[in-house]
Amino acid sequence: MNKRNHTPRRKFRSKLTYHIMMMPGMVFLLIFSYIPMAGIIMAFQNYIPAKGLLHSKFVGLKHFKYMLTLPDITQVVVNTVTIALGKILLGTIMAIAFAILLNEIRIKVLKKWIQTIVYLPHFLSWVVLAAVIVNMFNLDGSVNLIITSLGLEKINFLGSNKWFQPLLVTTDVWKEFGYNSIVYLAAITSIDPGLHEAAAIDGAAWRKRIWHITLPGMLPIILLMAAMSLTSILSAGFDQIYNLYTPMVYQSGDVLDTYVYRIGLIGRQYSFATAVGLLKSFIGMVLMLSANGFSKKFTDRKIF
Amino acid sequence: MRKDYLFKRIAITLSAVMILSLAGCSGNNAKSNADSSTAKNDGKTAGVTQEAQTADGPFGAYPEEITYTLGRQTIQNPKLPDGDTYENNAYTRYVKDRLNAVAVDAFEANGEDYDRQVSLAIASEDLPDIMKIGSKDILDELVENDMVEDLTDVYNTYASDYLKEIYDSYDGRSLSTATYDEKIMALPGTNVDSAPNEVWVRQDWLDKLGLKVDEDGNGMITVDELKNIAETFMEKDPGSSKNPVGISLAYWLSSNDYGGSTYCATGIANALGAYPKLWLKNTDGSVYYGSNTEENKKTLGVLADWFKEGILDPQFGTRTWDDITALLTNGQTGITFGVWHIPDWLLNNVRAMDKNATFSTYVIEGENGKANVFHNNASSGYIVVRKGYKHPELAVKISNLFYDELANTKTLEKDYPEVAKYQADGVDGSTRPFNVEINKYTSLLDDYSDIKKGVDGEIAIEDARTLESRNVIQNVKRYLENTATDDVTDWSKYHSRMKGIELIDKLTRENSFNWVEPVFWGTTETMKSNWANLQKLEEETFIKIVTGSVPLNDFDKYVKDWNDQGGSQIISEIEATIK
Repeated sequence: MNKRNHTPRRKFRSKLTYHIMMMPGMVFLLIFSYIPMAGIIMAFQNYIPAKGLLHSKFVGLKHFKYMLTLPDITQVVVNTVTIALGKILLGTIMAIAFAILLNEIRIKVLKKWIQTIVYLPHFLSWVVLAAVIVNMFNLDGSVNLIITSLGLEKINFLGSNKWFQPLLVTTDVWKEFGYNSIVYLAAITSIDPGLHEAAAIDGAAWRKRIWHITLPGMLPIILLMAAMSLTSILSAGFDQIYNLYTPMVYQSGDVLDTYVYRIGLIGRQYSFATAVGLLKSFIGMVLMLSANGFSKKFTDRKIF
Repeated sequence: MRKDYLFKRIAITLSAVMILSLAGCSGNNAKSNADSSTAKNDGKTAGVTQEAQTADGPFGAYPEEITYTLGRQTIQNPKLPDGDTYENNAYTRYVKDRLNAVAVDAFEANGEDYDRQVSLAIASEDLPDIMKIGSKDILDELVENDMVEDLTDVYNTYASDYLKEIYDSYDGRSLSTATYDEKIMALPGTNVDSAPNEVWVRQDWLDKLGLKVDEDGNGMITVDELKNIAETFMEKDPGSSKNPVGISLAYWLSSNDYGGSTYCATGIANALGAYPKLWLKNTDGSVYYGSNTEENKKTLGVLADWFKEGILDPQFGTRTWDDITALLTNGQTGITFGVWHIPDWLLNNVRAMDKNATFSTYVIEGENGKANVFHNNASSGYIVVRKGYKHPELAVKISNLFYDELANTKTLEKDYPEVAKYQADGVDGSTRPFNVEINKYTSLLDDYSDIKKGVDGEIAIEDARTLESRNVIQNVKRYLENTATDDVTDWSKYHSRMKGIELIDKLTRENSFNWVEPVFWGTTETMKSNWANLQKLEEETFIKIVTGSVPLNDFDKYVKDWNDQGGSQIISEIEATIK
């Protein structure tokens, strides 16, 4: 520590430019992220828009209790967690595998083309993709044409409680794995190529190098991404499900967000919807913090 | 994950915008405060002389100019001519000219925003002098809090004979919705019956296959006849689609309003004596929910059998509205359900795709040999007057002008050429001071009788009472001269009137309707929290029964669950309300 240059005031002055540069972002964060948090009060009120936050009646934990008494809540939570976990697990594995394989391609042009093609679906909205998926998977769709040509019975994927969840998970993974692999590609490129060279000289085969060099090198990023995705364990993807589901598959496809949307919209129960949102965020936060704790305990690396 | 973050950001941004826009709204409100206070002052200065002037009859003008503030429900594109606004247009000038009353808009808003403005006005206890409100729930709230004027006396004194005739034509079903302790607290907009849920069948296909339908010519076909048509269409595929579908229904299966019954099995249910999604009364006075009856179980049984036999669309439950429309326009199905006016906005798409397409329409006959139908909610929207407004009779007088004088005058073009031009140019009705309709219960058939007479040459086109009828007569005449016409509008008007309303007219003439009267249209306290959930239970169970994934007898378990999850509570609340 150099005392001359680092008295607090000097330290501040020397960094002043940076602080000023950061200000707009902080103001933005304050206005758009922190101030609206006052709306959380709604979760504990019988909020009526005309009366506003200040004059609506305070009801304590009523909405949280009400949520627990809803007859379908267990099924909805189970659906949410199952679908979300499926997407996180399969999505992460696919993204990592794809990143590793893509990294092995030596022809630059081909690599760029493949990357562009797999990123593309990420930028399409679910409203559009849902139409495509419905057309492919309905009884007259191309998938069922293939199934019947193999001499099998037609499957109503969009109306079957057995097939609806797998359909949600696979289509979501298909849409997002390319885009999600970007961060893993970056992680791979940050691994010292010297390690690979040394291993190659020592006679390690491709598979061995992946296992002993690439994957351990990616581990911090994988952990980080996994911990971050835990926050979304109670969000199974509203836009996708909303555009694909019908009452026929409520049993397997109705998740917290769609359920709250229907109940909140029809009954205009703003407070109830806020309460559910708050609980979701709270659980997400707890999960992320504990993931951080585990990470420190077992890998001796903190995520943040 | 990343996507989720973005989503949250957007949500937060949106809520911030909402807060800002709410602030903006209260800004508007401040302005309207100023407006209404000037209005109040005007009222005071004029008030002294006005007291003596109240005995001046239904169309009497005020000797000194008065102003009234309005809540205006607008639409995006009202087709107002340049320079005219909601506040100052041919209609408001017409009121000024006839009554010497000037409109000042307290607030204007579109659709749902309007309801929010009304809520704000109620919360801040600052109502415009006169406004339209959308729902019975709001009227209840206003009456409970004593915020609106009792209109009983002004209605009795000032309503023109014709206006009273209009309300009387509903046998009190409309006014009673605005009546509390025998006091009329609002002028309800009326809503004519649009029953029945008609079956529309491709007549060109029937002709092609030589199939005879409704041989006794009473306008009614039985459930079995309907099934038979569907089977034949499936077998012969007259649309050459290679993939015919017998009957395709929307998964919500029924509607509590005939206007919303397109692609619904409401007609089949009614024929079997079921009135799903409606609140009805037993002879002993107890209330029941129409979806939960034995008759409705029977309806679901029929549909489940059809599904098993393949007559009902195998993709029932996952087909969207657009999917079903596509089945019709592709020529995969030739049978559908809906109210009389669907040729105007839905079946016209079929004709646009297939130049040979024509439809016939029937109602499904009940076992009693009648067409079972229910009354729509007779009221749609309400006009209320602020408690303490000096001229509550103005609301009635303006209604007289628009729903009596304008509806009946033959000399509009001479007296008020500006207003006549508005009507000819199709300027939207929301530009009138009150955005509601007050029509005779029989207006649908009255207009039709003009149209029919006009088409048959019994009256001259100019003698038809409304401009719309005059236009329709021309459409129909053109269609009849050349039924192979390329003009889809002519085709539509012919089908909606000469088929759709003709059927209603015929069934009314032949006394074939069996009317049922639902007893409740509002929202109870328990419904606010439990209704969405009960609806989910109903929809989900019914789809499962129809598609056979649960047996029909699960219906009984559903009824029990429905009652346990708040249904019986709602029923007792309704019974308490209507007692």
